[in-house]
Amino acid sequence: MNLNELNQRVSAARAETEARGETFYPGPSRIHLAAFPPKERWDDWVELDSRAWPERRERRYMLVPTTCFNCESACGLLAYVDRESLQVQKFEGNPEHPGSRGRNCAKGPATLNQVTDPDRILYPLKRAGKRGEGKWVRVSWDEALNDIAARIRTAIEEDRHNEVMYHVGRPGEDGFTERILAAWGVDGHNSHTNVCSSSARAGYQYWMGLDRPSPDHANARVILLISSHLETGHYFNPHAQRVIEGKAQGAKLIVFDTRLSNTATHADIFVSPYPGSEAAILLSVANHLIQNGLYNREFVRRWWNWEEYMTVERPELETSFENFERALKELYQSYTFEYAASESGVDARAIEEIARAVSTAGTRFSSHNWRSAAAGNSGGWMVARTLFMLNALLGAVATPGGVFPNAWNKFVPKPIYTPPHPPRWNELTWPREYPLAMNELSFLLPHFLKEGRGKLAVYFTRVYNPVWTNPDGFSWVEVLRDESLIGCFVALTPTWNETSYFADYILPMGHGSERHDLHSYETHDAQWIGFRQPVLRAARERTGVRVSDTRLVNPGEVWEENEFWLELTWRIDPMGDLGIRQFAESLKHAGERLSVDEYYEYIFENSVPGLKERAAEEGLTPLAFMRRYGAFEVKKKVGAVYEEAVPEDELVDTRVDGFGRVYTRAPKPASPNIVPISSPDPDAEGRRLVGVKFDDHIARGFPTPSGRLEFYSRTLADWGWHKESTPTYIKSHVHPDNLSEGQTVLISTFRLPVQIHTRSANAKWLDEIAHTNPLWIHPRHAAELGVKTGELVRVETEIGYFVVRAWVTEGIRPGVVACSHHMGRWKLTEEGQRQLMATVSLDQQGDRWGLKRRKGVAPYESTDPDTTRIWWTDVGVHQNLTFPVHPDPVSGQHCWHQAVRVRRADTGDRYGDIDVDVNLAHEVYRRWLQLARPADTHSPDRTRRPYWLLRPLKPAREYFRLPEEEELVSAD
Amino acid sequence: MELFRALAVLAEPPTEETGRVAEALGLGARPCAEEYAELFVFELYPYASVYVGREGMLGGEAGDRVGGFWRALGQVPPVEADHLSVMLALYARLCELEEEGGNEALRAGWRGARRAFLWEHLLSWLPVYLVKLAEVAPPFYRRWGEVLLKALLAEIEVAGRQESLPLHLREAGGLVDPRAGEGDFWQALLTPARSGMILTRADLRRAGRALGCGVRMGERKFVLKSLAAQNARGTFDWLTEEAAAWEKRHRSFEQTLGAVADAWAAKAKDAGRLLGDLKQEASKVI
Repeated sequence: MNLNELNQRVSAARAETEARGETFYPGPSRIHLAAFPPKERWDDWVELDSRAWPERRERRYMLVPTTCFNCESACGLLAYVDRESLQVQKFEGNPEHPGSRGRNCAKGPATLNQVTDPDRILYPLKRAGKRGEGKWVRVSWDEALNDIAARIRTAIEEDRHNEVMYHVGRPGEDGFTERILAAWGVDGHNSHTNVCSSSARAGYQYWMGLDRPSPDHANARVILLISSHLETGHYFNPHAQRVIEGKAQGAKLIVFDTRLSNTATHADIFVSPYPGSEAAILLSVANHLIQNGLYNREFVRRWWNWEEYMTVERPELETSFENFERALKELYQSYTFEYAASESGVDARAIEEIARAVSTAGTRFSSHNWRSAAAGNSGGWMVARTLFMLNALLGAVATPGGVFPNAWNKFVPKPIYTPPHPPRWNELTWPREYPLAMNELSFLLPHFLKEGRGKLAVYFTRVYNPVWTNPDGFSWVEVLRDESLIGCFVALTPTWNETSYFADYILPMGHGSERHDLHSYETHDAQWIGFRQPVLRAARERTGVRVSDTRLVNPGEVWEENEFWLELTWRIDPMGDLGIRQFAESLKHAGERLSVDEYYEYIFENSVPGLKERAAEEGLTPLAFMRRYGAFEVKKKVGAVYEEAVPEDELVDTRVDGFGRVYTRAPKPASPNIVPISSPDPDAEGRRLVGVKFDDHIARGFPTPSGRLEFYSRTLADWGWHKESTPTYIKSHVHPDNLSEGQTVLISTFRLPVQIHTRSANAKWLDEIAHTNPLWIHPRHAAELGVKTGELVRVETEIGYFVVRAWVTEGIRPGVVACSHHMGRWKLTEEGQRQLMATVSLDQQGDRWGLKRRKGVAPYESTDPDTTRIWWTDVGVHQNLTFPVHPDPVSGQHCWHQAVRVRRADTGDRYGDIDVDVNLAHEVYRRWLQLARPADTHSPDRTRRPYWLLRPLKPAREYFRLPEEEELVSAD
Repeated sequence: MELFRALAVLAEPPTEETGRVAEALGLGARPCAEEYAELFVFELYPYASVYVGREGMLGGEAGDRVGGFWRALGQVPPVEADHLSVMLALYARLCELEEEGGNEALRAGWRGARRAFLWEHLLSWLPVYLVKLAEVAPPFYRRWGEVLLKALLAEIEVAGRQESLPLHLREAGGLVDPRAGEGDFWQALLTPARSGMILTRADLRRAGRALGCGVRMGERKFVLKSLAAQNARGTFDWLTEEAAAWEKRHRSFEQTLGAVADAWAAKAKDAGRLLGDLKQEASKVI
């Protein structure tokens, strides 16, 4: 046979095989990067048992996809379920997942540790003694559900809706639980976001009307990351892999981080600024672009709301773009490289090098800031606002290699029911002092309760551990122990944590492979959905067994939340007389509770464009397709939505105002994608804002009040923050001007890349890698203090101190210290997670609280032989207990950086000691409260909050109005 | 061209699907895993850098040059860009891109890339490698090697000739003279791009048998040095003969590979000459 014939024969064989839906070339293989088991063999995949080596023993698996739940990025996992034992043998990446593409970080495979954790909570528990005493009895799900449902029903019947609160850390889903609360008519959603990303969100929200960036790192020419994601944070492997792709294709990586983070080690240009000075550097880069005409003039002319700025703020000048450019030059001329250098301590030449690099990026400039610089400083939201200003100057907005608004790269399919907005406003989460807060003032809850602003009948925590995570944890302990403030505390958690010790009920919820959720994330310029599912349930269903309740396949009586919330909703209103039951009722079988199969079946069949057709190609129902592959890409390359023309049928009786905003009477077209989008106010006659008029067409624009990118925020100006209405530099609460003699800055915001906040205490692989959090100190600083690596130091905050070991390293800016907040887990008794939690004692003397470590971790006997091999004892120090609350007056974000004094530990100090004065903590809270500009005195229209801003569980519009009696008082 | 992709798969460990590919290629029943391991894990490592690098090891500058080819195409190099499977798969893709090119200019551009990859990264070492493979491989892989060599040489006519000597061969250098006291003479001997020879473990066992010496367990350099320690003169004689045989093998490609064959032959000839000189002082050299 000659070569041509051979070639044809191979091609034919391949075509024939692939026509059968099979894979011709084997995997794992380097051909076509097919390093994954071919999907037609996911029902029966054979591998050698590594433990049987050198014997060649084959094991047969079903490969069942799910979504990782160990951070927010929703990467795909593939569970290897042993066909004989029907147990999960390991987790690897799911190659069918568009975000993670089969590649995972360490936390994905470690899901197995969480599943097999010998110390996990397997049954519902009810408190037996006093709160926090550590006495528990096992109860049935029925008993727990009936008690909790009755309490909620009573609160609703007595119009005490605001006494029901759900406090979530990691959502891991898109709105399911919010809709349950809406079904109850409760404005009780409380998120952790204000100890996390609120400030960064504010910076983005005031520019583009959407509060999160979706950078296209893989196609960028220049990538600028501010104390950022790649390996530094505990999450976002999909971004990390795309940053590396960008670099491999020649992108220049610039990193600002006071610490030498893992990201910084990959950088082409790394600078270590004084904490809080980042915005000054960014503005000097912006100034370089502005003064030298290096910005994208046409983009700025077209898409910035410069006309509004000139009209309102510079009425003395003619409103022309040329005049705006002159005004822009004046506004930023003081931000020289030298000024930025004096604020940041970074050499002016290095800043100039950054500016030059940024100026070469064109529209391929991707940037990102999430926590640290934004979350650490008062005014930190300006870090994100000044960073995005560079994108806005370059026109690198929703371009290949640029930054997209998250909502355009995310798909949230419309579910079976969308209950109405709750008809009330909860001031415990949305107090009047913070009308512009991006999210709930969650970390002030204990202070509000202590002040008598309200109380709670039922309080849920879910994937959240406020005693350990939040600042001023002892104030949390105080209110959690007070039954007059919190009537019933329900901790929904798969593992023990510092908060759950004070609960009335602990209800065990599933880990990532033991639950249903639907999740989408902005990993790149596309829209996809990821389906988290209980893999053992899916595996059994593949063998023909029908499973109607996830508890039947999970370990012990571990449940999942979808079924739990639906069941609880049903029990609150079993007869339907409250109008609540309808949102948990089957459409197919009236009078029966909605099942998860029907819930997801509805979504996949009706709300995901293209899924039904794709599933049909493989002869599957949409639900079966999602159970088989775990993810679906709805759309590739979404592109610049703001430039899209508004279709004619949306233009009815339009009105165009002086700034080119187009308003229409046509209702908003129904969309299967219900991703939250800001809702700019209608015009005086009730028309909605639909786009922006240009010479040639009406473009979709941005969901901001101006329809454009808001260089100038009228909202900020009108609500009392006039000076901050354009991007500027706000000096941090830890700026040198604000420090006393001998104080230095403590950075507490960084994570250990392999750990998960509160659910990885017994992820043994992760614990072995990272289990402690020494204090980073520069050698010069350490020499001044007279401390060496391993020696104890005392770190004094405004309200107390903690004792920790020093780690002397050149990886930190001299004069600044840093301690990761991922460590210092503790428990009060021998119960609980034993691999990463020290046993401690709490001591309260009036307002003074102390925590002392009684015992570190040690090897122990369990069902897992590896627990006898634990070699570490040190699990770090819980520094957050010693931090008072610092609410940013605009974003509402807790500003994490601390002004501290560091010195050698006293003779009697022991490792891990904590000492706090809760009264002092309350004084600091009162002091920061004074910085706020409340709605009562600053609202321009007697509302509680600008209606257009995003808000979870947004109440109906009339509930935005401040109460009438307040108007009378203020009129007096 | 699908043929190269199918051949590429067979340089990977055999699996169930490999049988399907082997059958399509008419190579007979798929090999067992032991045969694969013996050939590709212990004798002829399927990485270009081992044969064209100046260190005779995995990766290094030679590996990076292969990765550079991907980068020049605007692609992210895979983890093991110089693995034989990856290289053949890339070549198959380049052939397809040329065929799919929308216009003549585009097709000419891809043809240029295809020709460059063929000469720089495939013909620069694979004929030498496959000649050795034909001697040591079990029947299945011998048949596979024959098809691959035939297909590669046929590509010269399709893709065209390249005048300049591949960069790998220009950069590699020759043997080091141990009498000068610099460099690692034994390592250079085991570096094909410097000695002009591929000396496998099987070759060293053959030498041991021929010289009546014990073949000690260890890396190839250790085995070779231990042979020389047992019988210095004999080992140098054996190596000199090997160099001569290699020169002859390279010369057999003069018509088809031109300068590439000349360069390899020259390396073997120089090696033979140096080994011949050293033979006189063999006991001192070791």
